[in-house]
Amino acid sequence: MECFIFEAAEKCLGIETEHIYRIADDIQITPVPLAPPCYRGLIYFRGDLFDVIDVGSLMGKERSMPNGNPYLILLKWDHRKLGLISDKIIGITWIEDNDGSRTVFTKEGRTIELITPEEIWKNLSKLTYGS
Amino acid sequence: MNRTSIKNKLILSFLALLLIVMVVVGIANQITNDFILAQAISAALALAAGVIFGGIFSRSIVRRLNSLSSVAKEISRGDLSKEILCLSQDEIRDLEEAFAMMVNDLRDMISEIKSVSSRIEETGANLSGLIDKILANSREIDDTALAIAKGSEEQTLIVQKTSFVTDRSLEQMDEAVRQSAQTVSKANDALAKTETGEANARETLRYLEDVLKQMVENAEPIYRLSNKVEKIKMVMSVMEELSQKTDLLSLNASIEATRAGEMGKGFALVANEIRSMAENSKQSSQEIRRIVDDIFEDNKAALTSLRKSEEHIVKGREIIHGIVGTFGEMLSGVKDISTEVKEVGDVTAKQAKEMRALFSQFHELSRLAQENFMSTQKTTIGTKNQKEEIREIVTVVKSLNALSEKMMEIQRRFRLRRD
Repeated sequence: MECFIFEAAEKCLGIETEHIYRIADDIQITPVPLAPPCYRGLIYFRGDLFDVIDVGSLMGKERSMPNGNPYLILLKWDHRKLGLISDKIIGITWIEDNDGSRTVFTKEGRTIELITPEEIWKNLSKLTYGS
Repeated sequence: MNRTSIKNKLILSFLALLLIVMVVVGIANQITNDFILAQAISAALALAAGVIFGGIFSRSIVRRLNSLSSVAKEISRGDLSKEILCLSQDEIRDLEEAFAMMVNDLRDMISEIKSVSSRIEETGANLSGLIDKILANSREIDDTALAIAKGSEEQTLIVQKTSFVTDRSLEQMDEAVRQSAQTVSKANDALAKTETGEANARETLRYLEDVLKQMVENAEPIYRLSNKVEKIKMVMSVMEELSQKTDLLSLNASIEATRAGEMGKGFALVANEIRSMAENSKQSSQEIRRIVDDIFEDNKAALTSLRKSEEHIVKGREIIHGIVGTFGEMLSGVKDISTEVKEVGDVTAKQAKEMRALFSQFHELSRLAQENFMSTQKTTIGTKNQKEEIREIVTVVKSLNALSEKMMEIQRRFRLRRD
């Protein structure tokens, strides 16, 4: 399967490409009051609102550095929309996953941990608003 | 007055006696015829007449001589009051007149002697008073001379001490004059060196101005390079933006190609290649940016260094301006010092000259003080001798007074007027 690889939370993470809607830059993020630290705010991109999440903060690590990587990874699946801030975008690569049980792969010397938007969404749902 | 001398009197008396004898002889011849008798009678009568005439004549002379003799005896006893009467007209009268003249002269002489004695006595008294005054004055002179001698001695000591001090002052002043001359010489050296220093500072300033001018000229390309580097950076920013956009576009293209499935695989390859090119372009841009940044930093450092050098040179120029000004002030100050030191030297030399004159005057004063001392010593000796002489004068005056007394006593023995 085609995987979109990026670095965040001191890891090399991968998301299946079919969930990637667009890679965007130079978009003004509107902060939301009383949101958790990993929730950066909202963006409006081509008629849709996206929740922007700092993957590093969400995974309990340091905040991602958007300066080095100004791109936002926009995800769109099951009528849900999410924007991810990563440390660095690696690119798209092909990963052999015959049975779909593995979540960690090694490709070109990188250990890639495969994540799904649902997992991110669940983790995000665990956080309480106003904490 | 007709004088009749004794000789004439004798001749007249003899003629009268002869006449009488002749008369008597005639009468006797008449009375008697006896010649012898007549002769005898005539001789006797003639003798008698002669005795009578002789007695009368001699008595008159002896009486007057006795009168003169008694007057002479009175005079010898000091009685000059007797008057000598001149009655006759003969030679005795001459004697009486001479005697009377002598008595008058004696009276005058005694009166004169008395007057002289009185005056001698008075003069002796005055002389005694004067001697007393002279003695008092002499004592005062003596005391004054002693005081002057003491003062002269002290004056001599003071003058000697002052001369010693003046001599030392003179030596110090000579030393000061020498030092002033040396200072003037050193000040002149300093003046020459300051002038050289000022000239060197001006030369350095001129060189520094040239260096600054040269540096400004040399800095122009660096400034231009800086502007060009800024433009390169702007171009690099555009290139980076382009590579970034290309990267983004290729990523999105890859994603779209993936969505397209089998149909989009070729496009995905192209997108990957484009992304790869964009990545390369981005890396090259980043490399160029690093190089440009390095150039920019180097240029910035060069500019900073240049500005610092300019600032330093400007400061150095200001400092050298200050040094030139300081050298000018030093020059003026050294000139003033030189002039003042020269004036001080001149004044000191003048003072030394005046001090030498003063020193010689002190020597003269010392000599005069010594002479004063000697003079006072001589005065003391003189007053001592004067006292001795005054004592002798006193003795003489006393003798004179005694003589005067004696003369007065003798004079008192004379009776000049009849009381």
